Amino acid sequence: MSTERSNAGVGGSTPPASAPWSVAIDDVTVRYRNGVTALKGVSLDIAGGEMVSIVGLSGSGKSTLIRTINGLVPVTSGTVTVGGVRVDLARGRDLRRLRGEIGMIFQSFNLAGRTSVLNNVLVGRFSRTSWWRSLLGAPTPHDRELAFEALDRVGILAKAWTRADALSGGQQQRVAIARALAQEPRLMLADEPVASLDPPTAIAVMNDLQRINRDLGITVLTNLHLMDLARRYATRMIGLRAGEIVYDGPAASATDADFEEIYGRPIERDDVLG
Amino acid sequence: MTVAPPPRPRTWPRTLAVWAVVAVITAIAASPLIGIDLGAGFGAIGKNWQNGVTKLVELFQLDWRILPRTLPPLLQTIEMAVAGTAVSALLAIPLSLWSARLTNPWAPARGIVRFVLNIVRAIPDLLYAAILVAMVGVGALPGILALILLDVAIIVKLVAEAIDAGSDGALEAGRAAGGTQFQINRTLALPDMWPAFTSQTLYVLELNVRVSAVLGLVGAGGLGLLIDEVRTFFHYDQLAVIILELLAVIVILELGSSWLRRRLT
Repeated sequence: MSTERSNAGVGGSTPPASAPWSVAIDDVTVRYRNGVTALKGVSLDIAGGEMVSIVGLSGSGKSTLIRTINGLVPVTSGTVTVGGVRVDLARGRDLRRLRGEIGMIFQSFNLAGRTSVLNNVLVGRFSRTSWWRSLLGAPTPHDRELAFEALDRVGILAKAWTRADALSGGQQQRVAIARALAQEPRLMLADEPVASLDPPTAIAVMNDLQRINRDLGITVLTNLHLMDLARRYATRMIGLRAGEIVYDGPAASATDADFEEIYGRPIERDDVLG
Repeated sequence: MTVAPPPRPRTWPRTLAVWAVVAVITAIAASPLIGIDLGAGFGAIGKNWQNGVTKLVELFQLDWRILPRTLPPLLQTIEMAVAGTAVSALLAIPLSLWSARLTNPWAPARGIVRFVLNIVRAIPDLLYAAILVAMVGVGALPGILALILLDVAIIVKLVAEAIDAGSDGALEAGRAAGGTQFQINRTLALPDMWPAFTSQTLYVLELNVRVSAVLGLVGAGGLGLLIDEVRTFFHYDQLAVIILELLAVIVILELGSSWLRRRLT
């Protein structure tokens, strides 16, 4: 099912921008085993190459929504189609190949602290690495090259041999971005990528994401909770409240009233980075 | 303006109840009718304490003449401890990853390994040694096998708990990148479990020196046989030398392992 698409990126010399992936979410409901309904009949279409922010308070379902797109959270009902392939139906090897084309970065960076930056970036090559190469820790020269290039692109090539937990928060998030870039992704998901960073570092990381969208043409979906970041960095904004979409429109022109509608309360000082 | 702190929650009834339960259980366990007859034990101390004291006095009069005889079995004890630790450490790496929730999402598979290891831990080491001596004969080999069984169960339990106490962030990133559980465990979980693993392995090495000294009592090699011999002939002065030797080995191991631990975190 997904073999044709997932093999397209293996050539390596093909720039990932060749075919950014679209995302189609149709009537998706996610109910967790503890009874919490995180998403209620959400439908959403995102074209390839868009830069979209998903805005909402914590608990609004942002994290769940972004995790349904790479199948980390299974949907209870509805369909999720990424690049023309049904994520909700994919299992095993097909799902792993699909995930291999979708980069993801996280609020808490999610690096393995006790191993080198390079090894963390090589995680991005997992879906195209044989089990015995993983066992021996012996990447192909091509994969190593891709990892170094990804580190260079986010400006921390010099840290390749450093242990990941020796880096600052901003540097760790850059390693995480390099890990995602090493996948040569066609879609990039970011779950609150700057919520653990100080304001200048947050701006720098958002600029990295913007460049990934503009220069490489990759579709980027970012969960954010800050108004000014959403306005400045996204072309389109999705507002999520209590598991339902309450706003879908241009980001730059979203008014304070729009944000109050999304948050379900008046604007507070903490809603902007400053 | 003075602040109005929230009323302090009443916790003393709960604390009191916990202490009461502990006291009752202790009282029951120590009562002559149901539990241990401590009265008879104390009575016996009054009658027999001099026997113990003469043994202690003998212990302090070291008889160094036995030293040459102790060295080969001491060496064998150390060899058994090292061999048992090495083999069980190797076995424990995959088994630890297999029996931790974060590194093996499939609960039934985890359950089987944990159940088997619980049984292994429940059986006394001397019993293993006795059975294995009957199966493979007198010598170091049954001792080493008994140590491996014991060690694997200990390392796997403690390391698996350490894995589950850690964060699953990096593992989630590995899953999101399309990795198999094997790739995720090898590349991301293994480096993070390393401190717990080395720490438990060093502990087990020290434990093995003590345990293998005892295993010889049932014929499983090492110092135990000699300990049994001198004890049977009431040579407490010689036993003291053996104990001192064991103490020296354990202290050296302790120094070495704490030095290693400092380096490995």
